[in-house]
Amino acid sequence: MADRYRPCEKFQQEGREWDRLVVRRKDTTGGESVIGHTQIRKDALEKVTGAAQYGADMNLAGQLYGAVAHSPHPHARIKAVRTDKARAVPGVRAVITGADFPEPYGQFIADQPIIALDKVRYQGEPVAAVAADTERAAREAAALVEVDYELLPVVNTIEESMKNETLLHEDWSRYECSSVCFPVQGTNIGDQFHLKKGDVEKGFAEADLVVESSFRCGQLQHTLIETHTATAMANPYTQEIQVWTPNQSPFGIRGLMAKIFGVPAEKVRLTMTHIGGAFGGKYEAKCEPIAIALSLKAGGRPVKLTYDRQEEFAATVCRSTVQYHIKTGVKKDGTITAQQVTGYWDAGAYVTTNPRVDYNAGFAAHGPYKIPNAQVDTYVCMTNRTLGTAYRGFGVTEAATLHEHQMDIVARKLGMDPLALRLHNCLHDGDTGITGEIISTCAVEECLRAAAKNVDWDSIPNRWTDEEGNLCGKGIACFNKLTGTPSTTSCIVKMNENGSIYIWSASREMGQGVTTALPQFAAESLHMDLDKISVTPVDTSMTPYDKTTTSSRSTFHSGNAVLEACADIKRQLCRLAAIHWGCQTGDVAYTGEGFIQDARNPERRIHINDVGRSGILHEQDPVIAIGRYGTSDLFDPPPVDGRQSRRPTVMWMIGAQAAVVKVNPVTGRVKVVKMGAAHDVGKAINPTGCLQQIEGAIVMGLGHALMEEMIYEDGNLRNGNMVDYKVPTFMDSDVETRITLVENGHPEGPFGVKGIGEPGLVPTAAAIAGAVCHACNTDFESLPIKPEHILFRKEVED
Amino acid sequence: MQTVDIRVTVNGQDYEKTVDCCQTLLRFLREELFLTSVKEGCNEGECGACTVLVDGMPVNSCLVLAAELDGKSVLTAEGLAQDGRLHPLQEAFIEAGAIQCGYCTPGMLMSGIALLNRYPHPTREQIRKEMEGNLCRCTGYARIADAVLLAAEKINARGLYGENSEVLL
Repeated sequence: MADRYRPCEKFQQEGREWDRLVVRRKDTTGGESVIGHTQIRKDALEKVTGAAQYGADMNLAGQLYGAVAHSPHPHARIKAVRTDKARAVPGVRAVITGADFPEPYGQFIADQPIIALDKVRYQGEPVAAVAADTERAAREAAALVEVDYELLPVVNTIEESMKNETLLHEDWSRYECSSVCFPVQGTNIGDQFHLKKGDVEKGFAEADLVVESSFRCGQLQHTLIETHTATAMANPYTQEIQVWTPNQSPFGIRGLMAKIFGVPAEKVRLTMTHIGGAFGGKYEAKCEPIAIALSLKAGGRPVKLTYDRQEEFAATVCRSTVQYHIKTGVKKDGTITAQQVTGYWDAGAYVTTNPRVDYNAGFAAHGPYKIPNAQVDTYVCMTNRTLGTAYRGFGVTEAATLHEHQMDIVARKLGMDPLALRLHNCLHDGDTGITGEIISTCAVEECLRAAAKNVDWDSIPNRWTDEEGNLCGKGIACFNKLTGTPSTTSCIVKMNENGSIYIWSASREMGQGVTTALPQFAAESLHMDLDKISVTPVDTSMTPYDKTTTSSRSTFHSGNAVLEACADIKRQLCRLAAIHWGCQTGDVAYTGEGFIQDARNPERRIHINDVGRSGILHEQDPVIAIGRYGTSDLFDPPPVDGRQSRRPTVMWMIGAQAAVVKVNPVTGRVKVVKMGAAHDVGKAINPTGCLQQIEGAIVMGLGHALMEEMIYEDGNLRNGNMVDYKVPTFMDSDVETRITLVENGHPEGPFGVKGIGEPGLVPTAAAIAGAVCHACNTDFESLPIKPEHILFRKEVED
Repeated sequence: MQTVDIRVTVNGQDYEKTVDCCQTLLRFLREELFLTSVKEGCNEGECGACTVLVDGMPVNSCLVLAAELDGKSVLTAEGLAQDGRLHPLQEAFIEAGAIQCGYCTPGMLMSGIALLNRYPHPTREQIRKEMEGNLCRCTGYARIADAVLLAAEKINARGLYGENSEVLL
């Protein structure tokens, strides 16, 4: 059915709302037939017909429904948990408390019980869970769980956390800790990151001007429209655990579940449903372990646990607040001599993914600039708040907001154009990066110039007042983000008996389009019709290993694996054809047009699209190939002391965005008028797929810049619902957007590709904040910038 | 638990059901009829993921009780394609690139159809206003508006508007 639909030219045509800037081609002529062209998404048809199954759409015969009792207190000692009344509710089949499954877990440090044991550390932390015949009975029973609490002082803020008067975790040494997490015993510091290049004090001494500023990014909720959910069937006797879940890290979760429940990893089978939005929010195990525990307790009956919206806000994950300080030394001509960044993350009650956020943001904290003397010192501070985790960029968005805000201040103090200052300092190929790495495949200048062009930067001043009295301004921001390295992936490419192809890959579709992009690689490599190629659902008992679907890594890593497997598919088909034809294998070649051809008798050939009916597959060895890609070999591990490295990542992602805003000085409302974006995607495999990522990210980033913020009072979340936590709506989407897809082919990327899942978001809030600051002639020192901040602003004087 | 008997038409099929008085239409459609295109996002009428048409009018099915449905007709995304052919708005969502994770898509489709019934030639401003109640975290909305405009073209070109300007119902 899908082959009936063609991309609508009216909206997809290059030159209308977007253009392409080719900087360098790698393994591509631009003349390919499948990659580089917009393709109809493989998952579109099932999504418009309502057939796509998401987490909560899963139903099993005999299933029970789970419900969780959550702590109303942000910090308290648990004196007693009484479940008698809950157990007495008709239809209740299992009740569990922390004592039933005391094994703590965590990707980086095992500091978190699945259900609180001795202490609750955030409002919403699970204290008991129930499985019952109906969801209503389960929720009724959960509400009847009685807990005696002894209230403890609440650690509300980074500042309170740093005092270490009240410790969330009294003894870090009790927890099993990985080699990449660095808590400080006797403090609320859960992790730290230190980078040192050159000598910042020497650099500041050489500067003509030293500028210091602070910036704070507020706490955000992913606000995925699909809340967290999991359905588990766990047999207490065979130890077989099966979970159906919309999670973006199937193998990561498998390992964690195996550990929590003390079973071998191969006994844990995760089947991934469609995902209704992830953005890092579905990287952690949330409903999964509780559903498994309930199923075990209920004798192996399946249990479905789905969080409602309030639970989603209080009891899942969020993006941490971060408080940054930055000090920059510059020469009069704008040359940066040194820069020092100090940062504190409000990580919430458990460490979760914060070490990775801290790490990625640390390498990005200075932006894509030449800085001879640089230092980063950041700390993950534990507070009695919802748990921080990855949010589309692992902290790099916040880091970009910091360094770009600082660039605007420096530009103003030097009397330079903000774009000119950035161009003066930005990295080019051959420059030395922040870890001492010799930078390559770096198109910051191209991205900055294209983003600026997309808002007619040169034709407008930094600020002006329009005829209606609105304060108008422009802003620009650029960034560099690494992808997690080292990491590995694998895939199986299997030819079916009719000559069609399955790709088994654990790179999970979550809206980013990977189940269309991977078949595009195979179609291009084999010269096969795209309709004959599909990605199978992800199931950890069958699908080969992939680290995670995060860090914008899937197209790059899994694309390489698919290409390797397809090369083997070609070899296998040539061998089968030779046997079938009774000639030498060496005589059969796979041509550039997709023919399996006898070199000595060129008339004898089969096109790949006809291979199913050609007879060469009949009763011959099945055609199945493995593709692998890993980056351990090229990775130069950055040592903890200073983090200097020749190759800290396989792939830097680069981009820039510019914003034009108008601010109503009477109401304080900000209207984003124009956004210009330019992102180096290496090679646009599915151009509309790239544009979708950037367009969606821009509206998401608009929310981060101007409206979204989790508001706490004394550890109590005050706006944990969709009425009071504002995300952008259709009415906010009226933004004139122009996008340039920059193609600066990556030497190791398949057809030169680079990631684009997270990058679209990274510079958006920074560019909008810069434009609002210009418009208002103010240094707003935090996000979001709300009307009240604008109305009570203090204009800058220098 | 009090119950009530209802006769309701859903996607052209008639049902006689005994429903719990406090069951929402959302839960009725998902749990009794297994029409899982109707998504729960917030259960408080804020996200629009559960939008269905009741007698042609878009409603948040989380805010309506199943008991109120006696004698009414409900349309969900499962009921849009007819005889193996997609509704023009479904086609347009595919062709205009209006889908990413897809969780909001069924609700967006239903709001879009209600809008097209009201405005055969909608403007972008009308689309933004009429569909404001449907949240999407992936797309940034612009391509969803593109899809509605494309669907209007398709519907008008194919002469699918009836005398009452009703596309389907």
